[in-house]
Amino acid sequence: MALPNQQTVDYPSFKLVIVGDGGTGKTTFVKRHLTGEFEKKYEPTIGVEVHPLDFFTNCGKIRFYCWDTAGQEKFGGLRDGYYIHGQCAIIMFDVTARLTYKNVPTWHRDLCRVCENIPIVLCGNKVDVKNRQVKAKQVTFHRKKNLQYYEISAKSNYNFEKPFLYLARKLAGDQNLHFVESPALAPPEVHLDIAAQQQNEADLAAAAAQPLPDDDDDAFE
Amino acid sequence: DPDAVAKAFVEHYYSTFDANRPGLVSLYQEGSMLTFEGQKIQGSQNIVAKLTGLPFQQCKHNITTVDCQPSGPAGGMLVFVSGNLQLAGEQHALKFSQMFHLISNQGNYYVFNDIFRLNYA
Repeated sequence: MALPNQQTVDYPSFKLVIVGDGGTGKTTFVKRHLTGEFEKKYEPTIGVEVHPLDFFTNCGKIRFYCWDTAGQEKFGGLRDGYYIHGQCAIIMFDVTARLTYKNVPTWHRDLCRVCENIPIVLCGNKVDVKNRQVKAKQVTFHRKKNLQYYEISAKSNYNFEKPFLYLARKLAGDQNLHFVESPALAPPEVHLDIAAQQQNEADLAAAAAQPLPDDDDDAFE
Repeated sequence: DPDAVAKAFVEHYYSTFDANRPGLVSLYQEGSMLTFEGQKIQGSQNIVAKLTGLPFQQCKHNITTVDCQPSGPAGGMLVFVSGNLQLAGEQHALKFSQMFHLISNQGNYYVFNDIFRLNYA
């Protein structure tokens, strides 16, 4: 959903809400997409910045109106007006800050209270940082709630397109949908150790084959 | 002059908040209550723990309005503030409202009730 002062388009567009603790990199993430950053609009009464992010698929263009807060989440939960009419969502945490992962269930609950049955991607950001506090195999919340999980690094563009591709496929109802062209992204600001990250992805895949631990939301210390 | 007292209190409160948040502890007492974005917190230690634990470091309150009324027979005062709050690293300032109920204790005021809200839809 575009803001009243924002251009609408004649191809499919969806409101994407991004939630997660302050400082997890939500704004940094959406700003990577350069045309979205160029066309963003701020709505002061809602306190939201909306970035229109276009992607090019084999079925034509698709636009995500990405709703990003002005930092209100640092004070407490967000108002319903932020979530309302959300059609898909990204929940972001920071793999270098354990508390931001512990708070994921709260963000998920708040989101689902207003937006029932929308596709959601959980993103663990900052995987470029050496000292992770949340290891890939410790991330289990998405398995309990049927969310997709991706490890990302906004500053290196690692896996930038993955969450959008997952959401586009769900929204289109077409698992074979794919991107045919990459959007212009800001150049990487940090280097990602690809070998180390491949090990993380392997750990994640191995953990997915294991049975889920009993309710360990609170046991994660 | 209650208006002058309210204005002086507000200036002191926010300059302390912005420069030295732990210093706010002396403005509350054990019976004080803060409602912060809907969350109720009682007691000066708990209140200051909440405020110092907010996940941002630098911030700057800019006050737009201060309204006050005398309250109760014991020389209390209601103070209502609106303004903008700029967090370091954020592009846009947030609008806020805050209400204080000040109680006079032998000529010194402390905050008995404190309600804070961000103003957005």
